[in-house]
Amino acid sequence: MSNTSEVRIQINGEVFERHVEPRKLLSDFIREDAALTGTHVGCEHGACGACTVLLDGEPVRSCLMFAAQADGMVLETVESLASTPANLHPIQEAFWEKHGLQCGFCTPGMLLTTKALLEKNPDPSEDEIRQAIAGNICRCTGYVFIVDAIKDAAARCSSEGDR
Amino acid sequence: MTQSLAPRLLGAKVKRVEDPRFLLGKARYIDDMVRPGMLHAAFLRSPIPHGNVRSVDVGPALAMERVRAALTGRDIATKVKPIVCDSTFEGFKSSNYHAIALDKVRYVGEALAIVAADTRYIAEDAIEMIEFDIDELGPVASIAAATREGAPLLHEHWGDNFFIEDLLEAGDVESAFRDAHGVFEINVSNQRHSGIPLETRGVIAEFDSDGVLTMWSATQIPHMVRTGMADCLEVPEHKIRVIAPDVGGGFGPKGHLFPEELAVCQLAIETGRPIKWIEDRREHMLSTFHAREHYHRVKVAYTEEGVVTALDATIEVDCGAYSIYPWTAAMDVEMGLVMLPGPYKIRNFRCEAQSVATNKCPFGAYRGVARTAVCFSIERIMDQVANKVGLDPVEVRRRNLIRSDEFPYMSITGMEYDSGSLIESLDKVCDEADYKAMRQFQEEARSEGRMVGIGVSVFTEQTAPPADKGLPLNFSWDAATVRMDPSGKVVVQVGTHSHGQGHETTLAQIVADELELPLADVRIAFGDTESTPNGIGTFASRSAVVAGSASYLAAVSVKENLTERAAHLLEASVEDVEVKAGRISVKGAPEQSVSIAEVARISYHHPELLDPSMEPLLEAVATYNAGPGTYANSAQIALIEVDAETGKFKILRYLVVEDCGQMINPTIVDGQVHGGIAQGLGGALFEELIYDDEGQLLTTTFLDYLMPGATDIPNIEVSHLVTPSAFVPNGIKGMGEGGAVAPGAVLACAIEDAIKPIGEVFVDRTPLTPERVVRFIEAASSGGGVE
Repeated sequence: MSNTSEVRIQINGEVFERHVEPRKLLSDFIREDAALTGTHVGCEHGACGACTVLLDGEPVRSCLMFAAQADGMVLETVESLASTPANLHPIQEAFWEKHGLQCGFCTPGMLLTTKALLEKNPDPSEDEIRQAIAGNICRCTGYVFIVDAIKDAAARCSSEGDR
Repeated sequence: MTQSLAPRLLGAKVKRVEDPRFLLGKARYIDDMVRPGMLHAAFLRSPIPHGNVRSVDVGPALAMERVRAALTGRDIATKVKPIVCDSTFEGFKSSNYHAIALDKVRYVGEALAIVAADTRYIAEDAIEMIEFDIDELGPVASIAAATREGAPLLHEHWGDNFFIEDLLEAGDVESAFRDAHGVFEINVSNQRHSGIPLETRGVIAEFDSDGVLTMWSATQIPHMVRTGMADCLEVPEHKIRVIAPDVGGGFGPKGHLFPEELAVCQLAIETGRPIKWIEDRREHMLSTFHAREHYHRVKVAYTEEGVVTALDATIEVDCGAYSIYPWTAAMDVEMGLVMLPGPYKIRNFRCEAQSVATNKCPFGAYRGVARTAVCFSIERIMDQVANKVGLDPVEVRRRNLIRSDEFPYMSITGMEYDSGSLIESLDKVCDEADYKAMRQFQEEARSEGRMVGIGVSVFTEQTAPPADKGLPLNFSWDAATVRMDPSGKVVVQVGTHSHGQGHETTLAQIVADELELPLADVRIAFGDTESTPNGIGTFASRSAVVAGSASYLAAVSVKENLTERAAHLLEASVEDVEVKAGRISVKGAPEQSVSIAEVARISYHHPELLDPSMEPLLEAVATYNAGPGTYANSAQIALIEVDAETGKFKILRYLVVEDCGQMINPTIVDGQVHGGIAQGLGGALFEELIYDDEGQLLTTTFLDYLMPGATDIPNIEVSHLVTPSAFVPNGIKGMGEGGAVAPGAVLACAIEDAIKPIGEVFVDRTPLTPERVVRFIEAASSGGGVE
């Protein structure tokens, strides 16, 4: 068997220490070793954005990184946003309210890209929203309701911040 | 008259009940599932488009550590029958599509072997070790190559490369051409592209010691796939269970039986271990069925008033290597034949059609099968007629469209359009767009030297159709079971599958209304052949019509049973009781009532309180058959601005009027319209599966096959008309595909219009890439005229 290296990655507050092959993709580590299957793989070459996770707060394509490269880092996946339907994150509420998803496959990547956008720019224009999600392919919605959802999410997040 | 006091759910913008699991990352797609002892499979795929397979040696792969099994075409030749799907039309030539190539490979990407190992990484290492020897034959990578004298033959015993050649003739074409004011011919094409769901295909197969084969597959049609599996595998249908869990987009491509499904199942049967195969994106581009590649040549006769009187057409479709199950390699040409006149009153028609076999990936279903291409052709024709007689493109369409008072309308090709609002939809989309103001804006922009164009299209949408002519099965129906439990709550089990369409919400809206229950008391179940009535599946804009109506009819039947039991308990006659807001009461005496939950409880647990003639079970299964299908219609208009230097254009506005009859949930309808248009725009703008002359696919990643992103798709403005179906319960029509049909036609019209001040040009094909638009501009400015 090929050599393995030890990696230690914190995902959603929990530390996962595993021996993995150097070639193991971060997306596979998340899905197989951490058993967090909300992170989806759509193209395996960084073009579709479905596998987007936040690495030290920044959105990255987990299919374009090896698990070993994330050693010692802090990761957030879609499962970090909420654990039950009763405590959805405002971004999730907004996507639900505005019908910002259909088949749901791109949704986790969209949600995390939105989170990163709103942290940097709490009140984005439509153009800024479209630019921000330009690297996340959605094949179902035509983006119209996703854009609406992100506007709504911005409003919800800022009113939550005001409280 | 009993009117529900509660607001009806039918027609309400209900938030989707299925959304939380997707938002939480808790949905279960194929790749999210793990079975005990599961192995991971990978396929070796042919790099050669056409050749005789001399040998495939999996020995070196099997010698590797942690590689557990491998199969070649020869290994399974006596156990797995090839997929054969023949059109019933005379002259259709049959193809044997093996789960793993046996003697011959016919396209790049065809499976040569399957390997199972402890991990996918190891399985992929193992396929690298397989040695194979293929004698190359000349590749046939286009219709021209397939039909030229002496072309290599894909299926030698055919004698040529045609799956089918067909001809439809109606009316008096000759006279119409003789009497025409004018005649012209167009020659147009749409490029090969496909649905490309974001989730690729995936399969897990497991064969248990009872001889039951369970296959989880990302499919739109679990029941039809099961029938196909039983036809090919040595497992009878009652011992096959197909489960389609959450599916990450379908769009047609996931509505087929695939050779990979058979190969993975056979490997599970032979190893006794669960086998998982998840397609990677490159495999998807190479081997999940392609679509859309049409070539049309149409001769047109028209009057001085701009009325089209006759079409004389040829439709050629590049169908790739094999006829696919369950639609056959005749699907596109046969649909094209009958749908070419579209929404227009053309009474003289002749069309030859040919499905051509080539060394390309087989050709299958994608949202709006054949209708994108025929819409492109007929709308290009309308635009040409408008030019020739000097009419506005909107006006020329008005003169040719079927009027609302002419429905039901039998088209010249024998299609029964039940109802519609074609002219009203066109007028409404012009109103919504403020067409006059749009033209004025265009004038002003032109005076500043800007290239601004307007494009329009109007079309019928065939929804919930029966078998297209020549298909080996009729799919005009589907089934639903409504089961009420002892607490008075309901599970509805349907034969269709939801993979983004929101059936868990819309079907529940229908059933909750009928049973006077809150939405939360109704749950929709689907996607498991073991727990749903035998049905057909989700495709062809059919689910709202057939599953919606089957659910409705089953609910009506359960409601009758409830009413009967309640009347017995209330010592009243059935006619004297009514169901309202969860209770059944004596009319005019609401204090004499019993709740639905009480009736259900008594029915199951105290049947002795019922009349002996009443069965305890509160359950009904119903089928609904939509006969010839019901027709929705739509009109779309776009305003664009072209950059003359780069050929890139911006869509300034895109408006749609959709008339799909009674809407179940307008938000979901709008979402479907948006998504359809985005896919239509993708195909109109840049999506293309490009083969070189050697039969190699050049577009195997999302870096060379461009998918539309948020900055490519404009805001889409949707409004509605409501012309109820002439016969479907609740007036429902389908609508899932419609959006995708017209964008190519709309943009071609808009580009021609934008270029007009420079000169005349005929936009004859998609995709409308910047490079191609520049060429159109150059042709116009050099006085090239109509090509």
